[in-house]
Amino acid sequence: MGIPHLSRRSFLTAVSAGTVAITAAPLLAACGDGDSGGGGKVTVEWMDIATTEPSKTLYPQIAKAYEAAHPNVRIKLTNLENEAFKSKMTALTASGKLPDIFVTWGGGVLKQQIDAGLVKDVTSDGSAILGTMTPVSQKPYQFDGKTYAIPYDMGGVGFWYNKAHFEKAGIKDTPKTWTEYLDAVRKLKSAGITPIAVAGKDKWPEMYYWAYLAMRIGGLPALQQAEKANDFSGPAFVSAGQKLKELADLDPFQKGFQNAGYDTPGGQAATMGGGKAAMELMGQWAPAVEKDASGKDLGDDLGWFPFPSVEGGQGQATEVFGGGNGHALSKDAPKEAIDFLAFLMNMENEKKLVSSGAFMPVVKGAENELDKNRKLVADALNSSTGFQLYLDQAFPPAVGQEVNDSVAALIGGKKTPQQVTESVTKVAKSQ
Amino acid sequence: MRAGMRAGMARSLSRHTLVWVLGSFVVVPLLYAVISGFKTTGDLTADPLGLPHPWKVSNYTGILSSGDFWRQIANSVLIAVATTLITVAVSALAAFAFARYAFRGREFFFTLFAAGLMFPPAVAVLPLFVLLRSFGLLDNPLGIILPQAAFALPITIIILRSFFRTIPAELEEAAIMDGCTRLGFFWRILLPMARPALGTVSVLAIVTSWNNFFLPLLVLADPKWQTIPVGIQQFQGQYSTNYALVIAYIVLAMVPAIAFYAVAERQLIGGLTAGATKG
Amino acid sequence: MTLSATTDDRPRHAARAPRRRGPRASTGERLRGWASSTWFLLPALLLFFFFVLIPIFVAFYTSFFRWGGFGWPEDFTGLGNYRKLADDPVFRGDLWRGLLIIVFSIAVQLPIALGAAVLLNQRMRGRAVYRAIFFAPYILSEVIAGVLFGIIFLPGSGLADKIVEDLPLLGDLAGRWFADPDTALPTLFAVMTWKYFGFHMMIYLAGLQGIPTEVLEAAAIDGAGPWRRFRSVTLPLLGPTLRISVFLSVIGSLQLFDLVWVTTTGGPTHSTETMAVTMFQFGFKRYQMGYAGAISVVMFLICLVFSLLYQRYALRRDLQGAVTNAGGRR
Repeated sequence: MGIPHLSRRSFLTAVSAGTVAITAAPLLAACGDGDSGGGGKVTVEWMDIATTEPSKTLYPQIAKAYEAAHPNVRIKLTNLENEAFKSKMTALTASGKLPDIFVTWGGGVLKQQIDAGLVKDVTSDGSAILGTMTPVSQKPYQFDGKTYAIPYDMGGVGFWYNKAHFEKAGIKDTPKTWTEYLDAVRKLKSAGITPIAVAGKDKWPEMYYWAYLAMRIGGLPALQQAEKANDFSGPAFVSAGQKLKELADLDPFQKGFQNAGYDTPGGQAATMGGGKAAMELMGQWAPAVEKDASGKDLGDDLGWFPFPSVEGGQGQATEVFGGGNGHALSKDAPKEAIDFLAFLMNMENEKKLVSSGAFMPVVKGAENELDKNRKLVADALNSSTGFQLYLDQAFPPAVGQEVNDSVAALIGGKKTPQQVTESVTKVAKSQ
Repeated sequence: MRAGMRAGMARSLSRHTLVWVLGSFVVVPLLYAVISGFKTTGDLTADPLGLPHPWKVSNYTGILSSGDFWRQIANSVLIAVATTLITVAVSALAAFAFARYAFRGREFFFTLFAAGLMFPPAVAVLPLFVLLRSFGLLDNPLGIILPQAAFALPITIIILRSFFRTIPAELEEAAIMDGCTRLGFFWRILLPMARPALGTVSVLAIVTSWNNFFLPLLVLADPKWQTIPVGIQQFQGQYSTNYALVIAYIVLAMVPAIAFYAVAERQLIGGLTAGATKG
Repeated sequence: MTLSATTDDRPRHAARAPRRRGPRASTGERLRGWASSTWFLLPALLLFFFFVLIPIFVAFYTSFFRWGGFGWPEDFTGLGNYRKLADDPVFRGDLWRGLLIIVFSIAVQLPIALGAAVLLNQRMRGRAVYRAIFFAPYILSEVIAGVLFGIIFLPGSGLADKIVEDLPLLGDLAGRWFADPDTALPTLFAVMTWKYFGFHMMIYLAGLQGIPTEVLEAAAIDGAGPWRRFRSVTLPLLGPTLRISVFLSVIGSLQLFDLVWVTTTGGPTHSTETMAVTMFQFGFKRYQMGYAGAISVVMFLICLVFSLLYQRYALRRDLQGAVTNAGGRR
């Protein structure tokens, strides 16, 4: 027990003497590499979500290349997992100090940061690089005629499915309608295959189902009208909830889905990529994350089909729900930051990013680098008759979170379709 | 007689069984962590119960050779030591006044401090954040140190006051007769006598600071100042798909606490339970 | 405990101190006492004022506004946030879960701690080692415990699944744990027990040591069996210690955050959400700082009212003895 010979005080003295020595080291070191003064060295803080391959490797490579060409600039990249990134960003936004470069999904969340005066307008500084990009990819970041981010990814959400599982369950054609879809789920279940992988802890992948159903049932105008009027109590939303409930009642999700993250171990992407589920409703990045999270490659077994239409619904199967990513700059970002982004997205790097499977093209002419499946996504996007941004990003944070929470509760059997629309409307109205 | 002995043995056997059951409930997760840290994630997923094959030391060595881990340890140490010094110094002065002076409003002020015990830090996090933002103390270790010290005041003052009161007044009178000032008495006689109590409150402040998560999570957004608990969360976010590595990280993060516990077990238990029973 | 310490002590102590200094305490002396004691008190008061009292005030103030957290709150809503809170099923759920956690702690965790304390209070081989092991989880941070158990309870590949998979009754738990709204809270309880029972055990051990062996021996001579001795002698004499440990347990349960945030972030579907988690969600995920401020205030009031009532009705009779003991022990 304890150390009898050392008195308490001498023990504490020893501890503190030791700690002074340890703590002084980094303090002194911190004085050395600070970006103040001498040599005019500029550090660009870059916060991203590239925790999975291939961007996890490509980004540092590109940053190194840029540093080599610009010896006075240091690019400091921090990557965080999606959910960790979002939590961190909310704390940073509240603290009023954003990193020089950060990932954004655009929409209401970006708008809130802009309104707080934290984001740089890149309309003129970035005009050269923005000019090379497709207009649709810039849309989520444009407010009042100004652009607030340089896009690097753009795509749509659809079903990624495992062809081998579909075949085994005797599903010949990918489902075109919701009825056919539910049928396919039943067939998969009776074949002993988990039909769907979903991340119930992260909630936003569940929201995709509700959003798409609402789009297919009420059509895009209904959704846009609801957003404008802050009223989500219309029949399209109730009915979307009912359809989703029908699906959830079939118990189609993997075991433990309610505590599964998206790209965490044992999460949605790992389940799908490991061949333990037949499909997932996900964006254009799905194949890359599946591969990284599971350590396996589905290869030719992986296919894609658009979200089915709903019988009697107003919406078209050609309307796409999705979004992209861009890099936004903080208000005080050094001018080197935008210069670096222009370098990051030049044709050579863009081709690398697209062909590696990391992202969908945003620069005109980079489409040729796409593989078969993502070509399907790109085609759906290009021939789309309407587009809706992810609800949790399009809406102000409080409304977006409420949509996610409520839909998760609906799938978990804790809320009725009616209650979902009521609570979303209530939060939207109080904004 | 023999029957009695057998019954005694049976009792002692069942006692040991009970303790072992409880003990394994505590130890298995820890042991699992240490062993899993030597595995690859694939190995860990496929066979969580078995021994690693082969033993992958690089999880641990990789972390130990990264600057981040050591910087977080250093930050945690710096913040814990600074918090403790400020808490103990400021509280000792106040406790001295409360224990040894008669002045108007003494009971009011003491009750005010004591009431602080009922204001859990979790409740104050939000307004503290707003406040620190307007003081410009975000991303600054002082933004953690000062609030931590402030919240540690009540318990520290209470413990120290009750200790100071056990020191006879005659001692002070004698010291003053010898030409000692009040401050001189406090510094040269009272504090050295209060060593055990100071040890208790220091341990309490160190452990609380070391484990604090909620406030640093919000205040220390910049990795430069992040403490170990926040660093763990960040690391988990960064290596979300490689959880053998995450386990290795938390095992290494346990080491300082366990080491402190091994070296100062008696002070630690004494400090924490005394803090509790007086709080 | 402490509060009552002050109130109950007051007459005794306040009366004593001046009397000792009686003959010399002229008006001038007392004034000088005030002046120098102010200097002693000032640093503590400043620190306390800025970082404890002002935040309380800020929480109260912002709770009357609709405020996104940027700039100065302007949109006054009076009691609007509180009215919304009263209606919010999640918050009402928090209260209910808070109660469940308290009840569980008192009904399961504390008895386990007491049992362990009684066991380890007897002479047995390796007692010090067991004691050290049981206490160890308490000194590890909640984040470490949370991350570790998050991985242990991973659906499909975690240690917990592998252990129960093939067991007859528990096999049903596999893949559920934190992932099922019905099992998430019990799973959290298990982790809480792991983390905290050793601490309560230590307090009880300290209390048990204070029970004179003569009393127990006398009871044994009177023919009382072990169970009866425990119930009629040990338990009552342990009363003050038990009441303090209950108090700490309740206050700890009311402000539970770290462990929940790291393991489940309050899910699935709010089944493990606590008041502090809800406050965090609203303040830092939805930017409704005014509403989150109202949650802070309610949490504060609940803790305050509980502490006052508990001290008034449960702790009062222990006071005299407990305080003197605590003072004398050091």
